[in-house]
Order: sequence, then C-alpha cells, then structure tokens
Amino acid sequence: MNDPHSTPETSGAGIRFEHVDVTYPNGYRGLKNVNLQIAPGEMVAVVGLSGAGKSTLVRTINGLVPITSGQITVGEFGLHGLRGARLRQLRSEVGMVFQSFNLAKRTTVLNNVLMGRLHHTSAWRTLLAAWKKDDVELAMQALERVEIVQKAYANASELSGGQQQRVAIARALAQKPKVILADEPTASLDPPTSHVVMRDLQRINTELGITVVVNLHFLDLARRYGQRLVGLRSGEIVYDGQGADADESVFESIYGRSLTAEDVLPETTAELS
Amino acid sequence: MSVAGLGASRAGTLRRPSAGGPGTAGGSARPTKPRTGWKSLVALLVVAGITVWSAIAVGVDFGALIENANNASNTLIQLVQPDYSFFPQTVPALVETVQMAIIGTAVSVIIALPISFWASRATNPNSVALGIVRFVMNVVRSVPDLLYASLFVTVIGTGALSGVFALVLFNLGIMVKLISEALDGLDRGGQEASLATGATWFKANRQAMLPEVAPTYISQTIYVLELNIRASTVIGLVGAGGLGMLIDKVRTFYQYHYLSLIIFEILVIIVLLELLSSFARKRLIK
Repeated sequence: MNDPHSTPETSGAGIRFEHVDVTYPNGYRGLKNVNLQIAPGEMVAVVGLSGAGKSTLVRTINGLVPITSGQITVGEFGLHGLRGARLRQLRSEVGMVFQSFNLAKRTTVLNNVLMGRLHHTSAWRTLLAAWKKDDVELAMQALERVEIVQKAYANASELSGGQQQRVAIARALAQKPKVILADEPTASLDPPTSHVVMRDLQRINTELGITVVVNLHFLDLARRYGQRLVGLRSGEIVYDGQGADADESVFESIYGRSLTAEDVLPETTAELS
Repeated sequence: MSVAGLGASRAGTLRRPSAGGPGTAGGSARPTKPRTGWKSLVALLVVAGITVWSAIAVGVDFGALIENANNASNTLIQLVQPDYSFFPQTVPALVETVQMAIIGTAVSVIIALPISFWASRATNPNSVALGIVRFVMNVVRSVPDLLYASLFVTVIGTGALSGVFALVLFNLGIMVKLISEALDGLDRGGQEASLATGATWFKANRQAMLPEVAPTYISQTIYVLELNIRASTVIGLVGAGGLGMLIDKVRTFYQYHYLSLIIFEILVIIVLLELLSSFARKRLIK
C-alpha cells in the first residue's frame, strides 16, 4: 500500500515476520511463531501487557534482540543471522526511540542528534568530532521538524522529559530512516506530553512516509494514533486489525480482563502508574 | 465482531492464545526474620584474631615507645622549629617535585584514557581482549611506586627522569582502574541508541560514553596529580629526584630543622592542590 504523502527521497520500507521465534538465553520465550506483515509507510501500534513481548517484537526489527528461528525481512534485509557491517547498514536505515530517551546527558542536544549520522561518518572524524557540514545541517533540520532547534547547543540534561524524547525523535530522523521503531515512547511522560510525542510520530509517518512501529501500553493512545493495532499476549499475536475496531472483546483477549477506567490515559491530570 | 478493514490482511482477526494469563502468587503470611547475627559475630572474631596474631608476629611493643621518649623528644623539638632560612636551598627540589608530578600525571592520563575504554565491560564487548587488558593492568597496579622508582633508578640512573617513569606506571594502574570502573557504572542509554543507529562500538563509545565519563576523568586527573606530589617525595628517597632526594640528604645529617621545613612545604602544596581540586570538582560535576 502506498502512502499518498510519501516523498520520493524518504519512503518507508516494508517489514515481514515469518514464523518468528525468540528464545532468550535463560530459556524464556519472548515471541512464539509470529507472522506479521507491515506495508511501507504504515503506522502500527503494538499493545499488550508488560512481558507480553512488545519490546522483544520491536527490538527484533533492528537486531537488538536476535531471532532464534524464522525470518524477518526489512526492506531488502533478512534479519536472521545478520551480523557485522550488514547489520550496521540495516540499523542505519531504522531509527529507534526508547522509553527512557537514551540521550547522552552531559553533551549537547546537537551532539545527540548527530549520533544519527555516525554510520556515515568515518572513525577519525568521529574521534575528532569533525562533523561534515551536511550532517550538521541535517541534524538541525531534524531538530526543526520536532520544533526544538532553539535548544541545539543546550546540554541534554537541561531538557524536560518531553523535550528529551523529541530530541530522540530528531536523532532517529537524522538517520534518514525508512522505518522508525518506538519502544514505549510515552511511558516516562505525562499525559499531555505523551500526545505531543505521539503527534510528532504521526506527522513523521504521514509527511515523510516513514514506516512507524510503536509499542504502547495504553490502549486509547494506540487506538488514536495507530492506523492499525497489533495485540500481543504471551509472545503471540492475539489481535491484528484496525484500531477503531478494537472493542471490549479484543481488549479482553489482549489483557485477559475487561477494560477499566485505570487503563485509559487521562487527557490532563493524573500520573502514569 | 464488525470489521471495516482496508483489505483481507487488515481485517480485525481475533486469534486464540495458547497459554493462559499470568498466575497469581499465593501466600500472604509474614515471613520470620532470618537469623544472621551469629555470622557478624564470627566475622568479628576472625578479624580480631588476625589482628592480634599480626601484632604478636610484628612484635608491637608500646613500652619501647616510652623508653625511647627521651631520644624522641629532642628530635621532636627540632621538628616543630622549622629553619626558614633553608627555604632558598629547597626551591629547586620543590619545583622539580611539582614538575615531576605534572609531567607524570599528564603522560599517564593520556595513555590511560583509551586503555580504560578497553578495560571496561560496558565499552568493550570482546571478553577475551577485556580479560587480557585487565590482567596486564592488575600486574601494573600491583607493583608499588617505590619499587618502580628503584627499578628505573637502576636502569636510567638517579634523577627526575626515573621519577617521571615511575610515576607514569604508578598512575596508569590507578587511572585505568578508576576510569574503567566509572565507565562500568554509567548509564548506557546513549550507547545503546548509538549502536541502534548502526554505529560501531568505537563510534558509540566516543559519541555517547566519553562525554558522560569526562567529568570523572578530569576530577580523577586532579586526584592523581595530588597523589603524585606525595608519591614524588617518597620515590625521591631512592634517588628518583625532587624533594625526596633532599629529605634523604638532610636526614642523613640529622638536620631536623631543615626536614621540618620540607614537610611543611609539602603540606602547603597538598593543601593548595586540595583547594584547587575541590573548586574544579564543584564546577565540573553539577
């Protein structure tokens, strides 16, 4: 399926899971026979309880978690057994946003965004921090897109949580990625800021046509921002369909019980548990 | 379930889970407090035993301290009366001590930085290389500074150069230990993110870990400099230059008025350096 908004230079890549199993070294099975097809330019929300395998699923796509059997195809890359330079090449095309932002706190925002250009920067340029002008320009543009460019030379530690997450999104954008993965990007944020970050991801998806896969544990955020919803339970896909169609019975199948008020992210006040 | 999907693959399909939900842990009785008191008692007795055994073996005799008090009092009286007129003659040695400490610190901390990244589990994924560099650094660290100094005095000859070499090796062991342990304790989020962008370990460490460890690195550099002022006076005793050589000379001739001046000078330098380092640390670590 083609996204009508996708621009020719940055278009998304498709992702295909075929009979994917992940067994951790301690014997824990993270994913069980997962089959999933994500079209280029699609925005997919993955929901489920803690430990259901959401993080595992997202982290297999860029090889942070190796798959035990089956195959994942991202664009032209097959993930199974992918190592070394080829793995780094794949990763350079896949941006990632983390729950805890994962910024280097004692350096500038710009230096954090430039991390997204490391793959294309030689070792000696990295060592001497001799960034190419084009890369700095790209990083600045990425910061402009998430509306935080005025903080470019501030230390990352001076920023609020929401601002830090937007810097992390800018870092992913600086990679010129085909896919952006977001692993619980709003779990450390307050409700209004969560919506800002989700809207940023949505905008990136529609304006740039980048495929976005985002883990969420709040069903209402997933319904609102995911065109498509994938429900995981105990490492298996228990729901795959449109967010709008996810009703009470779907919720029960994912969470093992019916929906209560606590499961919905409040719009303004209240803390995240 | 009503479905308004975009295509067959997008239709909402409810798949059956094969496994059940999470089980609930049973039991709500309060546990009894584990008895661990006897372990502390045994440990205390063992430590006390070792201490007494050591004291007997070394022949600790407090009586001797009192018997020789008359001899000591004479020396002590001289020690509290520093001869300030000796100051000009100490200046060259004093300057040499500071110079040795500065050069020794500068050379060692530059070498120590890459080795530290090599010696930390957080920054080196290769466990074989990690094991080798850690073993070598343990050997380097286990040799005392005075032994290094004696070694270099034998090989190179007496003077400040031997002292500098000794200090470099002595510092290297300390710096690599401190910095690699600081790296171990850092938040590795930035590194994980860098690796996820397709960066090599070298680039990820440079971009995400170096800025995080930098304040500790500078702070420990000042600490090592402080340590070196003290160390360079001691290694001078075996002929490795600086104030130590002067101490050795005046001590041989029982010139305790002079000795106390030298000790006073060392005290002043250490206090000044301490002030400088606490000031720098405050500015660095916010």
